[in-house]
Amino acid sequence: MDFVTLGGDLLGTIPLGDIVLYINPFNLFLFAVLLGFTFLIAISKPETQVEASKFNTLGVAEVKVDEKEFRQRRFLSIICGIASAGAMITGDLFNFTLFMALVGILNIGIVSAVKQTSVLNSAFNYGLIAMMCSLPLFGGAAIILASTGTLSLAVLSQMPASPMVVFGAILMLIGILGESGVAPFFASKAEMFRTPGSPFIVIIHLSSLFIIVRAVEILLLVLW
Amino acid sequence: MLYVPQEFISMYLPAIYAGLIIGFIGTMAIAMKREEIHILILTDIVGLAMIFVVSAVGTDLAEALILPGLVVELAETLAISEILITREMRKIEQDPRANLKRSSSLFPQAFSLDMEIMTTAPNFIALILIAYGIFLTGFTGGAVAGGGIVLYALSKKARGLPVLVLDGIAGVSGIAWCLWIIGFLLFFVTPQYWLLSLFLAACGLLLKVASKVGLIGLLMREDIDKE
Repeated sequence: MDFVTLGGDLLGTIPLGDIVLYINPFNLFLFAVLLGFTFLIAISKPETQVEASKFNTLGVAEVKVDEKEFRQRRFLSIICGIASAGAMITGDLFNFTLFMALVGILNIGIVSAVKQTSVLNSAFNYGLIAMMCSLPLFGGAAIILASTGTLSLAVLSQMPASPMVVFGAILMLIGILGESGVAPFFASKAEMFRTPGSPFIVIIHLSSLFIIVRAVEILLLVLW
Repeated sequence: MLYVPQEFISMYLPAIYAGLIIGFIGTMAIAMKREEIHILILTDIVGLAMIFVVSAVGTDLAEALILPGLVVELAETLAISEILITREMRKIEQDPRANLKRSSSLFPQAFSLDMEIMTTAPNFIALILIAYGIFLTGFTGGAVAGGGIVLYALSKKARGLPVLVLDGIAGVSGIAWCLWIIGFLLFFVTPQYWLLSLFLAACGLLLKVASKVGLIGLLMREDIDKE
């Protein structure tokens, strides 16, 4: 499918040698929203959270997170926001997979210093799934490269899909599902949010949501 | 259009199949194993299968893709092992006596062998390996001799290595580094003594690699046996 029919009129291209970044309203909107959210995170002060499971004892317990951990977490959240913004605007298939893997690593990193062992346990399991799914993710991109000879999305969208491209795209879909932690791998990822530190934890959720939207666009571009 | 031999093109599909099959075997093994450290190592095998599939493309572009793939793989392994370490530390913090209950073992399954050859043979094999490593010289020789030292260190059950031994090995490593640098310098300053500088560099590299591998083995054993 042509990217003009998917994302609206072409506003311009940024040719960087082999890779051509194309800008249309759809990608630009996703990019701007993520950058705006990243900016909000960068200026936000950490807030403490009330531990919900202790409401029934009437003693409302606040869970504090110390300053150092919050600084580290904020830094990783900002990098995560920038990486997902890059995945929104990139015009290269392999760059998209690399941004995706980077977001996966940063998601683990954001919760790496929490005190709850259950959160660490689910982060460990999510990390294992993300690592296993890098095989179909990168492998799918490599198969598409081998059968078409290019990784540029602008060129790929003009090509008819051969059976090998369809196979690569299916592998990539499996990889995207695992790497962003959606069904059927969601159990461990959902448990990763159960920790204090509200403004930064939510980037884990947001980045995978946005990346799924972009992945649907890319798969449509490659397949149709 | 560049000419590519037909043999290389026909290698592509078998390479992809091999990568996918390795990944499948790796995930099967992960499904069967229950020890977390083994799962981590097996996951790395699946990651290496990814490198397989990417490198099967075989163009210069694929070469540029392997490096970021490797880096991502390494970063993920580091992040996950960091998570594992943090979790174990938190567990020990919450229950300090928990880590005293059972001692960890190198082997995936518990087994005990009581044979005389297990205590006498490693010394002999280590000696042969070190002698052969000295004969080889250079990087390969260093690795072989270091393997001998590691074998010796792992086979000896005696715990509590004296600090002098560790310091001594580290010192030998430093001297070897100097030998290597001097050999390299001589090579450029006085090219007519190339044989001398070659031997200096080769012996330095041998000692360096051997002592480094040996040190890793000794420290690893110290870490594992620590209680």
